Amino acid sequence: MTQFIFTFLNGITLAGLYFLVASGLTLIFGLMRVINLAHGAFYLLAGYVSWTIADKTDNWFYGALAGSLTLGVFGTLVYVLLLRKFQYEELRVALITLGVSLVLAQAMLAIFGGEYYQTNIPESLSSAIPIPGLGLSYPFFRIFVLILAILVAIGLWVFISKTRYGAIIRAGVDDTTMVSALGINVQAVFIWIFFLGSLLVGFAGSVGGTTNSFGMGTDGDYLLFSLQVVIIGGLGSIGGVAIGSFLVGVIGQFATGYFPTFAGVITFAMLILILAFRPQGILGKKQ
Amino acid sequence: MNRKRIMYAIVLLLALAFPYITPDPDFWVSSGGARALWLGVTALSMSFLNRNLGLMSLGQLFFSGVAGYIVAISSVNHNVKFGTSVPLAILAGTLAGVLIGWIALKTKGVYFLMLTLAVTLGLYSFANQAQEITRGHTGINSVPSPIIFGIDFTYTKPLYYLFLAIAVALFALCKFLESTSFGIALKGVRDNEDRMISMGYRTMPLKMIAFVFSSFIASIAGVMGVFYVTNISPDSVGLIRSIDLLVIVVVGGATYLGGAFVGAALIAVFEAIIQDFTQYYVAATGVLFIVVLMLAPQGLMGISAQIRARRKNKEGSL
Repeated sequence: MTQFIFTFLNGITLAGLYFLVASGLTLIFGLMRVINLAHGAFYLLAGYVSWTIADKTDNWFYGALAGSLTLGVFGTLVYVLLLRKFQYEELRVALITLGVSLVLAQAMLAIFGGEYYQTNIPESLSSAIPIPGLGLSYPFFRIFVLILAILVAIGLWVFISKTRYGAIIRAGVDDTTMVSALGINVQAVFIWIFFLGSLLVGFAGSVGGTTNSFGMGTDGDYLLFSLQVVIIGGLGSIGGVAIGSFLVGVIGQFATGYFPTFAGVITFAMLILILAFRPQGILGKKQ
Repeated sequence: MNRKRIMYAIVLLLALAFPYITPDPDFWVSSGGARALWLGVTALSMSFLNRNLGLMSLGQLFFSGVAGYIVAISSVNHNVKFGTSVPLAILAGTLAGVLIGWIALKTKGVYFLMLTLAVTLGLYSFANQAQEITRGHTGINSVPSPIIFGIDFTYTKPLYYLFLAIAVALFALCKFLESTSFGIALKGVRDNEDRMISMGYRTMPLKMIAFVFSSFIASIAGVMGVFYVTNISPDSVGLIRSIDLLVIVVVGGATYLGGAFVGAALIAVFEAIIQDFTQYYVAATGVLFIVVLMLAPQGLMGISAQIRARRKNKEGSL
């Protein structure tokens, strides 16, 4: 029973992290039809940046801030310099981002080497909270990640579907020419979306680099998680990311806990099964 | 057409003579020739799909990996003879194509790319986790080389000619398939699937056959890879390797079958040379890839066509 509860808690807090990671990917795709396959490399870069700053300043929050902002700016640069010109050629953009991921992976390996890193949990969040009825406790920081994910989810949903800015963004995607004609600078809107999406993955990397260790190869792992999440949930839908993260996080943890050898196969079988019935993902729109 | 035949003949002659005309044959026959042929066959499986169905698959390394792991594990751990394990491995990789194709072919474009990438990365994470089967990140090492009809393929020259024979055979098979009515129907599906359906074609079986055929090529390439590097590890099917393969296909020219080999040869030579100067050769390949994608998306094979088109455009605008 104890193992069951701990596995569930691990799964659901990991789902929170996956949500933070994949929400940026789906936000950018959902609004701009641009798929960033350097997403895993972005996550890892944020981990390194926030680790370095947290280590230098001895303050976790500065690290997280630096990780998020660096990635926000970096992502925007990648968009403006490499992707914007081909924005309406989905496949070409996806391939260019894979190239970016290759260059980043090598650059990070050269700077940070092959060791694994993990940022220290800030003292103010390092307590453990007791689980009622078990006499055991669970690290608060992991719960904190889950709370953050829920807040980001609500924030994104309100922003996109309830505010004027969200309406502009949605309209800009549906009919760029018409929105431009209304006097709105659509290019600036796109830049902000890319900034926000990259900022989110930067934040995810800073938080994830604290709950889990990271290093060479982490980029591929988190790209895989993000892809699984958005494929299962449906690309471009925030609600889909929430469902996908929950499934991949919880089922992945139970599989790892109970059948370690075949954990990957079980998650994968789930993905195949869902796609067999809904090729567009659980909440995805028909292509 | 005749000109094309002459080109093929010249390339084939050069490839046959390569071990005798290259400087420093000990190095180049292996690191240049055999490596390029192995990578080229893997890339061929990707180009075939892209050219005939318009689908860019990053799942080819999944099939290579399945076949490669089966050969490596069965020969190192269970002493199975290659005569049994190689056909079984290729069969398993090809059958895996049926399962993946059934799911992936329901999608298109960037979705297809993502799904097939997820498939390959899934094998990577499985190979890392399932230590009892795959020995985790250490991988399966010291796979013995095959001996066929008394020829020992430990040596680079026999291996090079074996790879050349496989590459030529598979290239010819692709060309032959493209010339059949099946191949022409495939191009129809690529250009306008709805129209093919309304003309009474059942397109799913056509797409499925093409996909499974490409996984057959990828499986053969997987076995070639095990014989070439004599080991297999999760990194053989990792993200970097997947992108490397994509680089080869795109740089060579993703809509040409020959592009697979042009790209593979170029990348093999490029990496072999640049490796001596900088440890950042992977990053250099990445930069090359981005530049090609931005400036010449048709790759090297398409450059002359691109220039011709541009010249025409200029004349037209005058």
